[in-house]
Amino acid sequence: MEYLLHILVIAGIYIILTLSLNLILGYTGLPALGHAAFSCVGAYVSALLALNYGISPWIGLLIGAIAASLMGGVIAFPSLRLKGDYLALATFGFAVIVYSIAKNWVAVTRGPLGLPGIPTFSIGGFQLSSIWSYLILVALLVALTAFLLNRVANSPFGRILKGIREDEIATESLGKNVNRHKVLVFMIGAFFAGIAGSLYAHYITFIDPSSFTIMESITILLMVVFGGMGSIKGSFVGAAILVILPEMLRFLGMPSSIAAPMRQMIYGLLLLLLMLKRPQGILGRYRFR
Amino acid sequence: MLFQLLLNGLIAGSIYALIALGFAVIYKTVRFFHLAHGVVYTSGAYLAYTLVIQLGVNSIVSFFFASILAGIIGVGIDRLVYRPLRKQKAANLVFLIASFGVFIFIQNLLQLIYGAQILTIRTGPVKEGHHILGAVITDTQILILVVCCALFGLLWVFIRRARLGKAMRAVADDPVAASVVGIYPEKIIFASFALGSALAGAAGILISLETNIEPTMGFNAILKGIIASIIGGIGSIPGAVAGGFFLGIAENLGIWKIQAGWKDSIAFAILIIFLLIRPGGIFGVAVEKERI
Repeated sequence: MEYLLHILVIAGIYIILTLSLNLILGYTGLPALGHAAFSCVGAYVSALLALNYGISPWIGLLIGAIAASLMGGVIAFPSLRLKGDYLALATFGFAVIVYSIAKNWVAVTRGPLGLPGIPTFSIGGFQLSSIWSYLILVALLVALTAFLLNRVANSPFGRILKGIREDEIATESLGKNVNRHKVLVFMIGAFFAGIAGSLYAHYITFIDPSSFTIMESITILLMVVFGGMGSIKGSFVGAAILVILPEMLRFLGMPSSIAAPMRQMIYGLLLLLLMLKRPQGILGRYRFR
Repeated sequence: MLFQLLLNGLIAGSIYALIALGFAVIYKTVRFFHLAHGVVYTSGAYLAYTLVIQLGVNSIVSFFFASILAGIIGVGIDRLVYRPLRKQKAANLVFLIASFGVFIFIQNLLQLIYGAQILTIRTGPVKEGHHILGAVITDTQILILVVCCALFGLLWVFIRRARLGKAMRAVADDPVAASVVGIYPEKIIFASFALGSALAGAAGILISLETNIEPTMGFNAILKGIIASIIGGIGSIPGAVAGGFFLGIAENLGIWKIQAGWKDSIAFAILIIFLLIRPGGIFGVAVEKERI
């Protein structure tokens, strides 16, 4: 039972990450390949505030998300000049740099040793350490994220984002500031990714750079593409399936030296088949052009 | 110290250049980022391991064999994955993601077959290197430099002089016009995958003589290869070589002053600076406006 609830918590965190990347990738059509960098910033900022200054995880969550959002603003800059593959590569580069800062800035992040003993969330002296209470917290935040991002996507602001995706020049000719919207969408997406990172840090109570590798960014990308670009429901489906499916392999009773590469091979194959047969994802409406 | 770092940069750079060269040969004709190139490189190293260590084949013979097999793997990837996508006229990002799928699949297949632990191909005791101007260079490193430079020269002559090389350049410039004069683009794409992948395989074999091999080595390699070819101007053959050496030397001179752990950050910082300031690379190759 514990294990099942744990999987649900992890799935919830991934749903927040997938939703936030979907806003950038699916709604605005900007191929950002370094989403784990944002959750890395959120996790480390919030964990370090709690460990070094004793700041409540709730405030840490907010400050972490804001820090991730500022980082998103910085990463948005290449998107003003680059498109397609080149933008994907540049955001990828930023993610590698953020990862190696987490790994090499030992004085602050303790490098590969990681940060143990991160405090959990608490409400009025009651520690949210039981997995049930944590699941409720994550579920609430998932609902909030889905609600807010749905509102963003269906607002006039969201229509401009879709306009940028469909035809940037036409959007600009209608007097919309494309550059400003690109920076904003990165900041919003990064904000929610920061929340997810902080949730993860205070749940596991230990973080190290290996949780925020490039592979992690690719997994989130896969969840968005698999579920469907530009679809809120799709993000739920994509994240849930790709968290739960590999766990099922655990029950086939293979030794981990076989199970680990098998799981990755299934990821690779899924990605491949998806691109060949249904590039817009299960519930998606938008295709790359 | 400085000379030693320069020399290390030159050796690392020659491998980067070889990967970038294969990448550029393929990129010229298909115009998308073939990430799975990195896993072809890894396959080259593992094929060499199988031939030399497991089957006991002569090392020069296995060098050729492993390169050819790597070429066949490259062609196979093109036939099974990219060609159907080309028929659907898929977007560049679809190619990129599919290519990533191939990468993950083959890398983990190799891990399943050979295990995740590092393997080594070196046999016999380690010989002491030669001393030149206070720096040390081993026989293997000299071999790597010589083979790389020979391959650069051969490829240059091939692309400029040979009929097939000229046809490749024709398809790179304008596939429609090329097919009008009787050059079948699919055939040229086949050839460029074979040639480019054989070069990646050769790079994998050469690096396996110098360091240990592991299934995950291809990822870093292809990133460095792509960065090198962007620095030199994407799709440009001499640019790929120049970019590879530039990157190798810049990385190694960088760790003179900064810790070695930052090496990858240096490479990506260089990439981002180039993308933002000079996307055409050092030589300023014209890049189509709508692509960047």
